[in-house]
Amino acid sequence: MADSKLDLLQGTLDLMVLQTLSTLGPLHGYGIARRIEQVSGNEVLLNQGTIYASLVRLQQRGWIFAEWGTSDNNRKAKFYSITKRGRKQLTEDAAYWQRLSIVMSRVLSISDSEEGAKS
Amino acid sequence: MNFCSTLLRLRNLFQKNQLDRDLHDELSSHLQLHIDDNLRSGMTPAEARREALLKLGGLQQSIESVRDRRGFPFLESLLRDLRHAARLLRNKPAFTAVVVLTLALGIGANSTIFAMVSRFVLHSAAVGDPSTLLALHTTDQNECCNSFSWPLFTDVRDNSQSFSGVTGFYELLPASISGNGDPQRLWGQATTTNFFDVAQLQLALGRGFRSDEQSSPVIVLGNRVWKSRFNSDPNILGKSLTLSGHPYTVVGVAPPLFRGIDLFLDTQFWVPIGNIDQLLPNTSHFDSRDYHWIVVAARLKPGVTHAEASSELQVLAQRFAQAHPNTDRGLGFRFEQAGSLPPRDKNAILLFLGTLMIIVFLVLLIACANVANLFLAQAAGRQHEMAVRIALGATRSQLLRQVLTESTLLSLLGGALGTLISLWATNSLSAFRFPVPVSLDLNVSVDSKVLAFTFLLSLATGLLFGLLPAWTAAWRFPSTALKGEDALARPGRFWTLRNFLVVAQISMSLVLLCVTGLCLRSLRSASNINIGFRSSGVLAMSVDPRLHSYTPERTVQFLAELQRRVSVLPGVASSAVTDALPLNGGHRSDGIQALGKKPLDPTPSAELYMASPGYLDTLGIHLIHGRDFSNESTASPRVAIVNQVLADKLFPNENPIGQTVFGGGVNYEIIGITNNIKSRFLGEDLRPVLFRSLAQTVANDPSFEGYTVLAATNADSPSVTASVRSAIRDMDPTLAVFNEETMEHHLRGALFLPRLAGTLFAVFGIVGLLLAAIGLYGVMNYTVSLRAREIGIRMALGAEAVGVQRLIVRQGLQLTAIALAFGLPAALLVAKLFNSILYGIQPHDAVTFISIPIFLATVAALAAYLPARRASKVDPATILRSE
Repeated sequence: MADSKLDLLQGTLDLMVLQTLSTLGPLHGYGIARRIEQVSGNEVLLNQGTIYASLVRLQQRGWIFAEWGTSDNNRKAKFYSITKRGRKQLTEDAAYWQRLSIVMSRVLSISDSEEGAKS
Repeated sequence: MNFCSTLLRLRNLFQKNQLDRDLHDELSSHLQLHIDDNLRSGMTPAEARREALLKLGGLQQSIESVRDRRGFPFLESLLRDLRHAARLLRNKPAFTAVVVLTLALGIGANSTIFAMVSRFVLHSAAVGDPSTLLALHTTDQNECCNSFSWPLFTDVRDNSQSFSGVTGFYELLPASISGNGDPQRLWGQATTTNFFDVAQLQLALGRGFRSDEQSSPVIVLGNRVWKSRFNSDPNILGKSLTLSGHPYTVVGVAPPLFRGIDLFLDTQFWVPIGNIDQLLPNTSHFDSRDYHWIVVAARLKPGVTHAEASSELQVLAQRFAQAHPNTDRGLGFRFEQAGSLPPRDKNAILLFLGTLMIIVFLVLLIACANVANLFLAQAAGRQHEMAVRIALGATRSQLLRQVLTESTLLSLLGGALGTLISLWATNSLSAFRFPVPVSLDLNVSVDSKVLAFTFLLSLATGLLFGLLPAWTAAWRFPSTALKGEDALARPGRFWTLRNFLVVAQISMSLVLLCVTGLCLRSLRSASNINIGFRSSGVLAMSVDPRLHSYTPERTVQFLAELQRRVSVLPGVASSAVTDALPLNGGHRSDGIQALGKKPLDPTPSAELYMASPGYLDTLGIHLIHGRDFSNESTASPRVAIVNQVLADKLFPNENPIGQTVFGGGVNYEIIGITNNIKSRFLGEDLRPVLFRSLAQTVANDPSFEGYTVLAATNADSPSVTASVRSAIRDMDPTLAVFNEETMEHHLRGALFLPRLAGTLFAVFGIVGLLLAAIGLYGVMNYTVSLRAREIGIRMALGAEAVGVQRLIVRQGLQLTAIALAFGLPAALLVAKLFNSILYGIQPHDAVTFISIPIFLATVAALAAYLPARRASKVDPATILRSE
């Protein structure tokens, strides 16, 4: 996991999972995956298996916890909920991402206009 | 990774199965939910399942990716490697046993010597905060090191600003303790009252001395005495005991580990220093600035550095030197952390231990070379396995790790066994008793430092001997191994690394074995040296009447009466009294000159012994001329008997009888001449000896080590020992009897050095021999496996088993011959170094240097024969078919 691109992606996925749990409440892995796909307008091509690596990671950090329960259509499933520390982390991370995305779009638009000026 | 998630991961490692099941359940439920959705949207069951699996990215792959996240993949694979390695080793018990034993010998030798280093070099005194307690010494013109005089001690105590406390003590105070059983002789210390405060010592019971107890009869007991003599009596405080005839009150008991500040002494009691006149009567110059007798320890004030203390002491020394030019000129101070090696012996001890460390380290290196050889041989056999594993997708670093895991596991096993060996070895080392009259604590044990050292050493050893084979296994073999070709075999080369290692090993062990042989032969001849007096059938035991306030007159009367009583005991042929037995490492000596002649230059130094009438008879010393002592008294002129060497020196061409000699301010008339005796050490050249009349000497020059009554026995000694002891008790039941020994026992002490050298080198020699034999065996074994095909073909073509055996053994003997050619001159050179501790044999002793090489060659031939026999039993058909 030395690849920096992968790290960024992981961080993104973690944030998405936290946000999903924060807004929808307790949810199983499949539910989280579906929700992320829906919200992103199916733009994220999600290998659903990676969700579980992310869930383990978030559990280890104490940001979410899990318990077995029953789904709407009566299937046994493991449900994840966000913890207090998880919410705190979410606020911090969300703020960070917003700042980053503002800066990024600013940077990209500058370079666009400059290139435009040159040509 | 923070601590909490580390813990979780660790837990995960051990709940692996349950977690795997859980994960499997969860992913199955995920699939099920997805399939339900897909079915709802109108897919066929098969389509629904396929789509769900595709989206998940495969069930097994998902499980793997989560697993990597969950535990420590590194640790898991380490455990897997360990299991694999353990299985491999279990399958090759002989190989495992040989390797573990080899390493255990090497590692055990190292941890034994390190135990000595830990005890004598890394040790700090068992006091509170040992780092700020300093042992102070005086120096004279920078010459190290002496004790303090009392006035100098008080000057330093009262004037120095660097120390929060300065304590002084008399280090070696003999006393006999009575009450509660037989009187017993102990060594204690007389200390200033602040001793226990400066040492910051938490006593096991009671307290140290109060400042108003400078001359009070109070005593702090050592823990061992308290245990052995008083059965760990918890109510001992306030009880009274008799110390050298004076009543003392117990106020404290020292903690178990504390045996004084010094590194070696085994102190058993402490009394305030004001009692020293009483406990050491007839010594009256305690207050003189000339008499250096007090040992000083000082506690640094917090925040004061060693450099600051040192420069302050330097200023003080100059001031004292000006104020007292007669006694303190050239005075200086020196200190080191209390409980360190005494500065005077420091270099010698460090050199001794350093040499031993190097020797055992070489032994370990040889062991490593050995094991690496065995591993290489194994690697040859495992090329196929390795090739298959690489072909199946194992990475090279995985193979490297696997081989290293195996070698480390072996070395740790070796380390564990080595620890057992060093436990045994330190035990036997501690059993050696130094032939000195004071009691020393020289116990060496395996402590936590030694254990840590052993562990690290084992780990390092495993990596060291594993690296080369691991490298070979992972990198050196090409893909041809898969086809059954042996990449490591390079037939036709004789000087391979392996052969070189074996030659080096055999030469080294030849050197070790030769030294061992010399030491053992010297021990034998030392026990046959003519010592000039009776070597058996004499009993000795000592008493010290001076410690019981006997006057010199009463002492002489007592000893004369004791001699008379012992001489009439059944089983006793004759008896005598002396101050100390010969061969005790050096007793007393003085320069002796003939009166009325030109003084000899240098002044001959003669060993001085006190002797009662009958002494020569009892010890079997032959009187050549003149007469024995009879009933001399202090009033009559002083007389002496000298040995042949001294007589020849002082009176080369005339009759010494009737002549007068002087030494130590006393004139002696010579009344007899005896044969020469060994006086200090067995190996010495003959020394001048002068026997003085005991009765005439006790008053002026008393013995500090007590007096010894001797009985020449012609019966069973235990019963005589008991009756001599009871003769003493009948005369004075409070006298402690000590140094009770037979002459045989005494001479064993005199053989201490040759015995120690003999034992140490016998051990190293045998270890070296074992290692060399194992090494040769390993290499020959390997050769056989390399040449299996050749041997098979030879046998198929009609070679006989004997011929094949000869072929292999000859190669082994070739190596041995080369090794002997190198080793023998080296051994002769090394033997010269040992000249000073060899008794009665030459360093180029023919017996040793002929028999040891033959012995070694025999062992080598045997080590080569075993694989040779195996080779000759090979079935040619099997070999040829397997190719």
